[in-house]
Amino acid sequence: MLYLSLIVLVLVFVLPLVWAAASSFKLRGDIFAYPPKLFPEHPTLHNYQTLLAEQPFWGWFAMSTVVALISTAVSVFVCSLAGFGFAKYRFKGKNFLFNVMFSSLAIPFAVIVVPLFIMLVRTGLNSPYFALIVPWVAPAFGIFMMRQFTEQSIPDELLESGRVDGCGEFMIFWTIVLPLLRPALGALAVWSFINSYNAFLWPLIIVGEPSQYTLPLGLGALFATENRQYDLVLAGSVLAAIPSLLLFIGLRKQLIDGLTAGAVKS
Amino acid sequence: MLYGLFLIVPVFVALYLSLTAWAGFGSPIWVGLRNYQDLIGDAVFFSSVMNTVLYVLISVFVVVPAALLLATALNARGLRGRDLFRLVYFTPVVLSPIVITLVFSLFFDREFGVLNAVLRATFGFGGVDWLGDPWWARVVVAFLIVWRWTGYLTIFFLAGLQNIPRELYEAASLDGAGPVRQFCNVTLPMLRPVTAFVAVTVMVGSAQIFDEPYLLTRGGPGDATISVAMFIYREAFMRQQLGYAAAAGVLMFVGVFAIGRLANAVLGIGRDR
Repeated sequence: MLYLSLIVLVLVFVLPLVWAAASSFKLRGDIFAYPPKLFPEHPTLHNYQTLLAEQPFWGWFAMSTVVALISTAVSVFVCSLAGFGFAKYRFKGKNFLFNVMFSSLAIPFAVIVVPLFIMLVRTGLNSPYFALIVPWVAPAFGIFMMRQFTEQSIPDELLESGRVDGCGEFMIFWTIVLPLLRPALGALAVWSFINSYNAFLWPLIIVGEPSQYTLPLGLGALFATENRQYDLVLAGSVLAAIPSLLLFIGLRKQLIDGLTAGAVKS
Repeated sequence: MLYGLFLIVPVFVALYLSLTAWAGFGSPIWVGLRNYQDLIGDAVFFSSVMNTVLYVLISVFVVVPAALLLATALNARGLRGRDLFRLVYFTPVVLSPIVITLVFSLFFDREFGVLNAVLRATFGFGGVDWLGDPWWARVVVAFLIVWRWTGYLTIFFLAGLQNIPRELYEAASLDGAGPVRQFCNVTLPMLRPVTAFVAVTVMVGSAQIFDEPYLLTRGGPGDATISVAMFIYREAFMRQQLGYAAAAGVLMFVGVFAIGRLANAVLGIGRDR
């Protein structure tokens, strides 16, 4: 009974995805064949070939991947440094700063989207390469998660012994703290890569040029055209899902442990 | 302090902008509270608020219990393949909402959609205009919320459940408590911090829903599925009413803040620190 319901649920979660993946190998007419078939009778790569030949798919892909990689690298560094600061240092206004940071977790993005856009346009910093990355380099959630980890897994004595050995504060962070935080860094990296890679609203606002579209924008545009190009959209979705799925499958243990640690033990 | 620059400063800029009329060029014109007065009388804004409230309610009263139930099932002793189930249920969050929405819009398409085809093949009818009917369109958006969040939040409940010491259950069953009593008197209280986290996460998440209604129906039919985030986007970037959009943003902030406070009061976040 238990297994049965769990498996039914698995089907609810997986079937649409399997259907989409299978349909991406069907010709346009067969996608909506009646009665519907799950798997293609005549599998073909036609959709993929057309997508890659007619649409700047690799450009979108490169844009998304590069932006996501850079913001991941920067935000992992910034969050772990800030989390370390919050966890291990006493300074004036620390509680105030921490509370401001913590409450900002609840600020919906839609609230700040208009001012953020205006600030970037006014300062001339609204180039996609800048604007797609910079607002995300210090996510409150990441700082919070890193603070939790630093507090839990790094004893003060270790930092003291580093100081006794004559390490500077940054050296202590770099050589002692970072290596110990490795599992948490992995979780944060996956989390922030996936967030950036999947973002839609902000790129929609900040990117005007089709040549600078990210994957979600490109797929959205394919879908929005007059004759909805279902076949190409499906092929594109499958290709687009591969990096985040691979990353997730590879680092799922770290991601799940990292995400839940902050929630369960806070 | 980058952080403040990109999160805190904009909140204050939004407050200022919300008191002006501005199309994005020239200087903003001070209009005082007029934007707010207009918003109160704006039928589209009203329906965006009602829809968003509906999405939030569904996430609290459907997603959270469903996730808890699923986690309890996954926590059953001796369950095989737990990691595989976890993996599968988690997947929707990893995938881009775009991909999910596009796939589902093919599912729910009136003429060609798989769902109607399956209904026709099994029950002999299948003419439901899922995305063109105001009521069904809302149901579809709500379904996507449930589909996307349930498995993700299950993971947190599961972690919480696995943290509850077994002795508590043993003690409870020595006292003669059955499974239901054990669930109410041991599991639920022990899960309170996780429940608070999960509830706030999903509320804040679904309060800002944008991708699903935007891509599925463009907020339609009419304005049947439009969300507050979509309203703000439309006013700001399609109609160039930046001050008006900022005012809607400020109201949204107040709303989400109030929800957060309420959740605080009900679930007692941080009470037992």
